[in-house]
Amino acid sequence: MSDASATMNFGRRDAADKLRGRTRYTIDRYLPGMLHAAVLRADVPSGRIARLDIAKAARMPGVRAIVTAADAPGMVGIGIADHPLFARDVIRYDGEPIAAIAADTLIQARAALAAIDVEIEPLPVVLTMADALAPDAPLVHPDWRNYEVLLEGGARGGNVAWEATVVRGDVDTAFARPDVEIIESSFRVGRQNHVAFEPRAVIASYEDERFHIETSTQVPWSVRNATARLLAVPASQVRVTVPPVGGGFGLKFDIAIEPFAALLARASGRSVRLVNSREEEMLTCLFRENAEIRIRSAVTRDGEIAGREAVVLMDCGAYGGEQIFLTTMTAHTLGGNYSLGAVRLVSRAVYTNTAPNGAFRACNGVYNTFALERHTDEIAARIGMDPLAFRRRNVLGDGDLGATGQVFEGDVLGPMLDRMDTMRDAAAMPPERADGRLYGRATAVGTWFVFVGPSAATVNMNADGTATLVTSGVEIGSGSMMQALPQIVAGALGLSPNDVIVRAADTDAAGYDVGVGGGRTTVSLGAASLSAAQEVRTKLLKVASEMIEAAPEDLVMRSGRIEIAGAPGSGRLISEVAARAQGQIGPISGTGAFTGAGVPAMPGCVAGHFIDAIDIPVFAVHDCEVAVDTETGHVEVLSYRVVQDVGRALNPRAICGQIQGGVVQGLGYALHEEVTIGSNGRVCQNGFETYRVPLALDVVPVEINLYEGAPSIGPLGTKGAGEVPILNVAAAVACAIADATGKPIRELPLTPPRVLELLLDQRSTLSLPHIAEAWTDNLVRPHSAGGSN
Amino acid sequence: MSLSLTVNGDHLTSAADPVTPLVDVLREESYLTGAKPVCREGFCGACMVLIDGNPTPSCLMPVALAQGYDIRTVEGLAVNGGLNPIQAALEASDAVQCGMCFPGMVVSLTHLLTTCPEATRDDIRAALTGNICRCTGYERIIEATLLALATK
Ligand code: FES
Ligand code: FES
Repeated sequence: MSDASATMNFGRRDAADKLRGRTRYTIDRYLPGMLHAAVLRADVPSGRIARLDIAKAARMPGVRAIVTAADAPGMVGIGIADHPLFARDVIRYDGEPIAAIAADTLIQARAALAAIDVEIEPLPVVLTMADALAPDAPLVHPDWRNYEVLLEGGARGGNVAWEATVVRGDVDTAFARPDVEIIESSFRVGRQNHVAFEPRAVIASYEDERFHIETSTQVPWSVRNATARLLAVPASQVRVTVPPVGGGFGLKFDIAIEPFAALLARASGRSVRLVNSREEEMLTCLFRENAEIRIRSAVTRDGEIAGREAVVLMDCGAYGGEQIFLTTMTAHTLGGNYSLGAVRLVSRAVYTNTAPNGAFRACNGVYNTFALERHTDEIAARIGMDPLAFRRRNVLGDGDLGATGQVFEGDVLGPMLDRMDTMRDAAAMPPERADGRLYGRATAVGTWFVFVGPSAATVNMNADGTATLVTSGVEIGSGSMMQALPQIVAGALGLSPNDVIVRAADTDAAGYDVGVGGGRTTVSLGAASLSAAQEVRTKLLKVASEMIEAAPEDLVMRSGRIEIAGAPGSGRLISEVAARAQGQIGPISGTGAFTGAGVPAMPGCVAGHFIDAIDIPVFAVHDCEVAVDTETGHVEVLSYRVVQDVGRALNPRAICGQIQGGVVQGLGYALHEEVTIGSNGRVCQNGFETYRVPLALDVVPVEINLYEGAPSIGPLGTKGAGEVPILNVAAAVACAIADATGKPIRELPLTPPRVLELLLDQRSTLSLPHIAEAWTDNLVRPHSAGGSN
Repeated sequence: MSLSLTVNGDHLTSAADPVTPLVDVLREESYLTGAKPVCREGFCGACMVLIDGNPTPSCLMPVALAQGYDIRTVEGLAVNGGLNPIQAALEASDAVQCGMCFPGMVVSLTHLLTTCPEATRDDIRAALTGNICRCTGYERIIEATLLALATK
């Protein structure tokens, strides 16, 4: 096939109905006779359930079913199964589910919740990672040793849910070199709420002894498997289908409220609708985790990074969840940008009595990139080198080693920095520059990856000349399912993407898939779809060759026809060939499967990692200019530029839309989105009034340059493009503000009061005494490799 | 007691509690699910409807107070069964991502287009402060509005 045919700015077929208000998301579905459910949640962060009596609630008007921990015996998790569906005896966070009720109306369900008699005896609380790591801290999971371990290799202990380490080379020797400066920086970042517009929502039914779950999720197969595990039923008893999803950003990359609805549907024999209130979403949204980071580097005066060490503490909240997996990412987000002589990193997921955290667009990456880039500027300042020159000298190039010993292919970041220079030079100076505010600018680099992993696809050729693509992929708004995949299939079959029907995800119809996230849709689902389409192509060409009396290799598929190459208008319509095939040999279909090959790390270099090295690195260079008002501390972003490595841009317009949106979400994270936890363990921002996301007035148009041609194992050379745009934003903004103000920036978000404190030197220096001075004292299990102990 | 509403030109009766937010009556009784209850605080604009031509968050309006007004939801904004100019421009500009904010955006921008044909980029940005979008970063929405104004 000529793969150029897959590149286009194909518009979204789902746009017109979304604009008319016709699209029916999960929250818009109302089944006849369905019940409405509500969940009773704990209002203390830590305690023991002394009494739980549902008898009175069960007699309330309209109540059809009540379920509690007794109905859900299983435990789920990533790496370790530490998470029950309902609090069992012990409450570990404010908002933890205790019971769920289905009633004829939502008002009745909520009224019945209030009638549940529950008595909780308070237990000691750990709300911060400092508390959790203190000697003799109360344990969030006193019986952590008894949990089933789902992946071997992570060290655990006390309130450390998981620990992943990287040790490559001899860092102690590097730090002892006489010709190095040692630069140390510490950082702290808060939580970020996804604020996906559609809350998590589900409708569950129970028919023929099988659960049918319609849900707003990014991961239908994970929901299927985790629901089955929690309910202790075979996974084959659960079917998950996914209507259009109203935003995900990683929020819906984990099981959520689905099992409650499933249990209630089985108990009541009716369909059950359960939708999180906005307050429930705000308080228990699987935030981007708060983190604390210390980085120390040994750097020569001419800018060689001889050694680097870092400790990253990630708050996983009351249950390990995604953080366990994300400890892996530190190796790549802190260790995949710059050439390092020797390196050791430890990333620790720490239990606290707070709402669990989860995945959020470029998870782990945004704050590590912020920390790394601020640290990089501090290094450049210390050794008296221009920050851009320092970056250019050290960014990973062809054949360079990442932190885990992975060998990087191709020079990508260097040429991307050059391209940013060109963009910057071509730009007009912003007019606001001379209005008395402080002006700053910065360029930040970042490395992310495509989360590959298994995907399956089937393409059914229809006799009318259209093709139906069946996968477990979900359209969460990025356009990957509505634009990229139909383009890929259409390109292989010579069809218009309009003639490729994309089947909504259904675990009964499509093969296993890891889910939509990690920038993997175009890559993994795309590769599976391409190979399914190629099977269809081969079969169609065989049938056509008899009809046209030409060898299959002399035929091309284009514009809905199968023709003799070089003879436009010859041959037959694809629909004729498909119809003939259907009659002669049966309907034509093809299947495809994909998974990442896996890239080795250096032996003995990593421990506790889910991914030792990255199949498809993705790079980004961001540049921004800011003006800081010295009287109010308000930061205005004057300009924003992005050079993003996309491998190959199948739909440049869709990618640019993702970049604009991702940058703006990053500006919110950098400048004003702040989640705080009160002394009662409750998240303080319970709605849009208290949690401020970017408005149209806050943002600038992003100037974008798509960098194509970097190596990728993705189909047609693609890489994921939706996750990366948020990666460097906090880094670029923070570095620009530091440039403007000359103040050390250690924390996010940079709200006006915080910036003002910095300007007035009233911000006390950040101290993280719970990160031990000696790197090795931060480990549950000393790392044996690398000779550094 | 029964409430009487005029929605998209149709007369509807509702037995809802008079304090029920209009958005819930529209969605659950008339299955007009275009208006989305996203924040229920009047901040996000996803539930915006036109009340006698004025964009109003339907999450804050008790249904009883909506009686006697001409209520238009996004479902009622089509022109001759097709997209209206702002809808068409939003589609052409590839502005839509998850789409949850768009019904409210369309309501607000349809109003802007008729009342403020000279709107500048800054006017549009200001007009959009009542309509939050979490996905798009607004730029395409602003571009589409300029396009719709230019081609009107
Ligand atoms: S739901 Fe009405 S303004 Fe947000
Ligand atoms: S497109 Fe998702 S909220 Fe606007």
